[in-house]
Amino acid sequence: MTAVTLRRITGLTLIAFVALAGIFAPWLSAFDPNASGYDILYPASAEHPFGTDDLGRDVFTRVLYGARISLVIGPAAALIVALIGIPIGLVAGYAHGRADQMIVQVIDLFIAIPAFVLALIVMAMIGASLPNLVFVLGLVMWPEMARLVRGQVKSVRERLYIEAADAIGCSRTRILARHIWPNIMHTIAAQLAITVSTAIFTAASLGFLGLGLPPPAADWGGMVQSGFDYLSLNPWLSIAPGCAVAMTVMGFYLLGRTID
Amino acid sequence: MLNFVLRRLMWVLPNIVLLTFLLFAVVTNWLGSPASMMLGTDASPEAVAELNARYGFDRPVVVQYLQWIGNAATGDFGRSYATRQPVAEMIGPAIPVTLELTFWTMLLAISATLVINSIPVGKHVVGALTTGISIVGVTVPNFLLGATLISIFSVSLGWLPTTGWRPWSDGIFTHLQHLILPVLTLSAYYFSTFSMIYRAEYRQVEQQLFVRVAEAKGISRRAVSFLHVLPNAILPLVVYIGTSIGNLVGGAVVTETVFSIPGLGRLFVSAIARYDFPVMLTMGMITLAGVMLMNLAAELILALLNPQIRL
Amino acid sequence: MDSVDRRDFLLGLGAGGLVLAAGPAAAQATPAQGGTFSIGLQDSLDTLDPTFSIQFAERRILHLVYNTLVSIGTDFSVKPELAASWEIENDGLRYVFHLQDGVSFHDGTPFDAEAVKFNIEHRLDESVGSPQRSRLDPVIDSVEVIDPLTVAINLKTAYPGLLGDFADRAGFMISPAAVAKFGEDFGSNPVGTGAFTLTEWVRGTSVTLDRNPDYWEDGAPYLDRIVFQTIPNTIIGLQRLRVGELDYVDNLSPDDLRQIEGNDEIKTEAFPVGLWYSLQWQVDKAPFDDLKLRQAVAHALDRDRINQIMMNGQANVANSPTPPGLWWSTDAPYPYPYDPEKARALLAEAGLEGGALTLTTPSTPIYRRLNQLVAEQLGEVGLSVTLEPVESSQWYSRVVSKAVNFTPMSWSQRADPDGLFYILFSSKGHANTTGYNNPEVDALLDEARNLLSPEERKPLYTEAAELIVHDLPYVPLFFSASFAAMSQAVDGVILTPDSIPRFRYVSKSA
Repeated sequence: MTAVTLRRITGLTLIAFVALAGIFAPWLSAFDPNASGYDILYPASAEHPFGTDDLGRDVFTRVLYGARISLVIGPAAALIVALIGIPIGLVAGYAHGRADQMIVQVIDLFIAIPAFVLALIVMAMIGASLPNLVFVLGLVMWPEMARLVRGQVKSVRERLYIEAADAIGCSRTRILARHIWPNIMHTIAAQLAITVSTAIFTAASLGFLGLGLPPPAADWGGMVQSGFDYLSLNPWLSIAPGCAVAMTVMGFYLLGRTID
Repeated sequence: MLNFVLRRLMWVLPNIVLLTFLLFAVVTNWLGSPASMMLGTDASPEAVAELNARYGFDRPVVVQYLQWIGNAATGDFGRSYATRQPVAEMIGPAIPVTLELTFWTMLLAISATLVINSIPVGKHVVGALTTGISIVGVTVPNFLLGATLISIFSVSLGWLPTTGWRPWSDGIFTHLQHLILPVLTLSAYYFSTFSMIYRAEYRQVEQQLFVRVAEAKGISRRAVSFLHVLPNAILPLVVYIGTSIGNLVGGAVVTETVFSIPGLGRLFVSAIARYDFPVMLTMGMITLAGVMLMNLAAELILALLNPQIRL
Repeated sequence: MDSVDRRDFLLGLGAGGLVLAAGPAAAQATPAQGGTFSIGLQDSLDTLDPTFSIQFAERRILHLVYNTLVSIGTDFSVKPELAASWEIENDGLRYVFHLQDGVSFHDGTPFDAEAVKFNIEHRLDESVGSPQRSRLDPVIDSVEVIDPLTVAINLKTAYPGLLGDFADRAGFMISPAAVAKFGEDFGSNPVGTGAFTLTEWVRGTSVTLDRNPDYWEDGAPYLDRIVFQTIPNTIIGLQRLRVGELDYVDNLSPDDLRQIEGNDEIKTEAFPVGLWYSLQWQVDKAPFDDLKLRQAVAHALDRDRINQIMMNGQANVANSPTPPGLWWSTDAPYPYPYDPEKARALLAEAGLEGGALTLTTPSTPIYRRLNQLVAEQLGEVGLSVTLEPVESSQWYSRVVSKAVNFTPMSWSQRADPDGLFYILFSSKGHANTTGYNNPEVDALLDEARNLLSPEERKPLYTEAAELIVHDLPYVPLFFSASFAAMSQAVDGVILTPDSIPRFRYVSKSA
């Protein structure tokens, strides 16, 4: 087994693990993720594998349900990135001269803005909610995708056979669909997986800074933050959701790095 | 050379102006007004009007921006709404903190990258190990690493202070002691990305003829690695470091929050959380200008080092 | 100790069962001299100018750098401070203060009647923009300098809360010369008469105060230096207390105390009266203009459970805005006990079953916890509650501008019932952010304001409290249990019922 295969399998396993945890959360835990209880900040035990939080809720259960949120945020943000970034990249890559240059300048301008800083500002301004979070992540991440797609289209175009197809008189759409798209599909898929991974990472960081989903949502980043006050009573409160973020991010990252 | 710099500056400066204008407009006008941010969306119209008049938000956005950028050019960034301090006085003391944090982080990350990835012995083991570490390093969030390090070294073992920042005047030892965990946390990510870039280039250089020749001449493998391969494989890393240093603020936001370090990142986060517009805008501008100028610097270095690019 | 033994002016004549810890300084014969006292500070500081101060945490530093005109004892009695004595004349419309002799500001300028006049007029000056103006302006008519050490304040209306205000932000005396010198930067260069002077303020990190060698009170201060160190949360504060990096941490919940159980080097002390936690809404605006909805919410809340989960059962469930043990406390039964069935029935009557509410959630951990419990309990009677996060520094200004319709709230107790009742529940109260307007309550509070004897005032406040609790502009929840932890070497921290610890007389044995 090559190193690449090993990494791909690890990535897929991690994703599957997190996805299954999210899907089967109600069967894996007998607790309600949002139900308070009288056992406040208990350390890990057989009943509560990661202990309880400051409202007596079972941390293990909340981490499981958190997978659902992350697995919505990541792919949804990637979808927005795809919807904005891919068409812009395709147009820029296929266009000649001035149109291309203009689009490239816009993309470069956006890439110069540090994504996380922009996400912080916009998130604080429009307020935290699931749709807003997905929107903001899409907004800050599309330029990377657009640049990649443009580069790919350009390089494929330069190969002779498209010029040949052009010469035969195929329509542009047809060339894009029949000749260019199949050649760049893999790279785009890889970039999408990386995008999912970055989106989950960024969402968790925003959550940690208090700009994630409002309580009582089992938002991993927010859970890490609220657990910070109680590291000596129950470190799992922060570390378990933090590890969940790392696993999910790593899963998609490995997948992305091994697609093409 | 000078021509090149000027040409690039002609491109960068208008972009900085354009981006800061966009930032200004987005923050003060488009996504909501300072009044609605400070008073809430259901605020009474009188309260909003009063606040707008007090801070001049009732004028057209271009006028506001020109006044702001004009004042900023003379070093007057206004006063913070929250603390009533001049913004420059708030940002001033935060700059050396973030710079120092970044300095140690870069020192650690770069030297670790170059040393570990150039070690010739057991190449496959080291390679597999650093690749593994790199993947962990880029995927583990800083807040998790920070929380874990604090849990282990501060809470359980009690070896290191949990958080905070002590000036040099409190003693060199105290000062450096407080830096250990944040620098470790922050370097993990940089070490990982640097390693990925450096290793990729290193492998290519290794295959080149002059390295083979050096090896054939019987020079020790270590000497070959460090004297022949390293200097030739470092270029992409230099460029990457140039571009990533520009985003000091963004990189330090989470780590400075975890360890409550009074640097630019934390100042920025608290300004955002309190809608402290003068501070937010100034920080935003510094970040943008920093990123663009460092990109430019990286481009220059690349051009200087690579004779194929003509200036 | 001298400063505590001075003539007490007891407003609380009927002070009954309230047992309060006496200031530890009073017990100690000769306080140890010297040393540095390090305090963990969780909240942010914006300014050390009392004219503009709004952050709660600023007040603990203000009490060190400045003196107040009068001060509050641990039993809510009003004691002399910069004013050595005073008379109330003209049926409560004129206060004459006799000032301490020989007091000067840190900059060497004398503290005298002119300085008092400047301070009060500075706060009343509209162009200065002090947040205290709205409170003082309706009350204070004029300030008269009678002689260098005597100043009279004439009121527009009787106001028993005046001394309480002068023991608080409005009473901190700042140096007029320094205000002229520093202007807008006075907040970073505070000059008062206090026992300590500001040496260094590294924003977001630490505030260093050094002993004022010329301090006017005998003996005090005992410490050489006080350092406030910013801590991000209590766990880190307690950690640093354990290793000796800090001497004092407070704002601790019962859960926090679990972290230092069994540690012989650390002692803990409870704050005498907790903050009054409540829920508030706008009673003149839909949907909370419907009394049935308010009653349904009140019946739906299991306050014992909230106390158990948040305060380990150590808080007092609140049945009115007044905790037990003050002279104006009542023991009237709470009309809305936990009864989810009744809550559902009331919602059905109001036609609001399955309604949706938005509860504003400041970023402070305690409100975040409280709101999640409230949302859970209201959910059980079929009200779906969305929590809307707001940065805590933004939150109160939104409450004041009535941009928030449903929010948790907490108030510290005042030395006089007028202090809280009038500002919150009178339709003219400056902190009435609920739109509550009950003419009967207004009349009772106005009448009580013009009487001086507690015996006459108590029945009026009792009646007002009953009306208020019935009308539910606020749902009373609990009086919090809050603790301070400090090194055994520390003595003299005074935990006052206004929830602001006083460090002026602290000493530290080696």
